Amino acid sequence: MSDWTIFVNPMTLRLDNILWLLPPLCLSVAIVYKTIRTPRLARVPMEVFLLLVYMSGGLLALGIVLWAIQEFWL
Amino acid sequence: MSDPQPTRNRRRPPSPLVAMALAWLLPGVGHVYLGQYLRGAVLFVTIAGTFWAGVAMGGVMTVDSVNERWWFTAQMLSGAHGLVSRYREQRVWNSLATQAGSRRAGVLTEDVRQALLSERKIALVYPMDTVARAYSGVAGLLNLMCIFDAVILAMLWGKGTVEPAGAGRRQ
Repeated sequence: MSDWTIFVNPMTLRLDNILWLLPPLCLSVAIVYKTIRTPRLARVPMEVFLLLVYMSGGLLALGIVLWAIQEFWL
Repeated sequence: MSDPQPTRNRRRPPSPLVAMALAWLLPGVGHVYLGQYLRGAVLFVTIAGTFWAGVAMGGVMTVDSVNERWWFTAQMLSGAHGLVSRYREQRVWNSLATQAGSRRAGVLTEDVRQALLSERKIALVYPMDTVARAYSGVAGLLNLMCIFDAVILAMLWGKGTVEPAGAGRRQ
């Protein structure tokens, strides 16, 4: 981290912290998708929240399934 | 898809080609061109923020046209953001080539390139390479969605409102 200069040098990232960077990316996807798809902009925040819940739930379920496969099957 | 008939009146229908070019060059500006200012602003801030968050974490080599061509293609879909990053990356390659006594970075072997990048502490390695390129690449792909939307809205101009799929279900 000490060598990190923003926009120049890469940050040092530990592998066990990588999942924390997934929610912001999901949020970006949800905002852009719902901004395009929602007819009334006033509804965008609620639609984004709902999509974020769906995405997080789906990714969590996928993670549990993959964990179960590698834990009990492989 | 958002409403193709914004509140602002226009004398001439918008050109889909101009909408496409603007939407690519600066994310969200295609929607601004169609009169959807707030929507365009939200798209611009979100896509620019995602792209530059990736570059902020991954550094100058997040955009790597030599070793990561698929990610590079996705990153270039973000228009000016991708072009600026490409310019910065090109400067690095030129500088490395000068340092190695070669005229073109392309003639340097992969090992030499990586060694020079590591020496300057700008080599992007796992797992940060995945995260940084995912952020900037996804930003480009999101902009592709905005480009399609802007073009379709421009093409449908004056043909009535297009309801997005499923818009009537949750009202």
